[in-house]
Amino acid sequence: MSHPRFLLLLLASLPLIALASPRGDEDSARAALQARFDAALHADVAALDKLLADDLEYCGVSATCSTKAQYLESVRSGTRKFRSLVPKVERVTLFADSAVLTGKVYAVSIGDGTERNVDAYFLVVLAWRDDRWQMTNQSSTLLQPKPKT
Amino acid sequence: MMSIASFAKDGVREAALKAAEITRFEAQVNADAKVLGNLLDDGLEYTHSNGDLDTKASFIDSLVTGKRDYISSVATVDSVRIFGDVGVIRGKARVTVSGKDRQPQDLHIGYTDIWLWKDGRWQMTAWRSMRMPDSPVK
Repeated sequence: MSHPRFLLLLLASLPLIALASPRGDEDSARAALQARFDAALHADVAALDKLLADDLEYCGVSATCSTKAQYLESVRSGTRKFRSLVPKVERVTLFADSAVLTGKVYAVSIGDGTERNVDAYFLVVLAWRDDRWQMTNQSSTLLQPKPKT
Repeated sequence: MMSIASFAKDGVREAALKAAEITRFEAQVNADAKVLGNLLDDGLEYTHSNGDLDTKASFIDSLVTGKRDYISSVATVDSVRIFGDVGVIRGKARVTVSGKDRQPQDLHIGYTDIWLWKDGRWQMTAWRSMRMPDSPVK
């Protein structure tokens, strides 16, 4: 086969190659983040196992960081438990194989029988692996308390 | 499959990312607007450990005007990871900060910062920090 003909065939097949390898877009990144918060709220360890990357670094508002195994164990054991978890995504920056999402999450956590409001800024990095978004990092900072009036 | 060339590229980029992080901490202490202007992404979201928020412009302005004065900043990097054009650094830092309206405070923070590879260099686009349990100022 001559080179020009080969190149033409290659160019013609590019759309098919693209269709065969769908990439993550902004909507799917937002959906993956929502699914991850929903799974945390419902303590759905199986869903979290798929949504979290094996190399996850999860840094909570207490400044302690957990691996995926440590995070899943805290959900499984009930150490990490929520009454509500409402994320509000403010920015999504998309790259070929990764996405950075920032925003706020309004949470009510349950610990030692008491409920606590934990509202925080979050920073999430998703990586596109195995044809789906997987969360590789979440880091949070507590929202500044509202001034007393 | 990852090629040798891409391994080499990642190695070069990782070294550049570590260097950029060190330079940024130094530039903060020196309130060097020119260096920070180059290292910070225009879309920077800088969330301080007390929940204060800064953009690139407000952050640089706060340093230049002395509203926020980093007297010292000693960082220990725990991990550096690169996902394509995104770099993620996680670490801890002992920071002494003062300002026009406050006395010097010693902080021990955990942080994550996100860098983007743009225009042939790393630019920091997001910073989140949290006070460590042993931070002198909670």
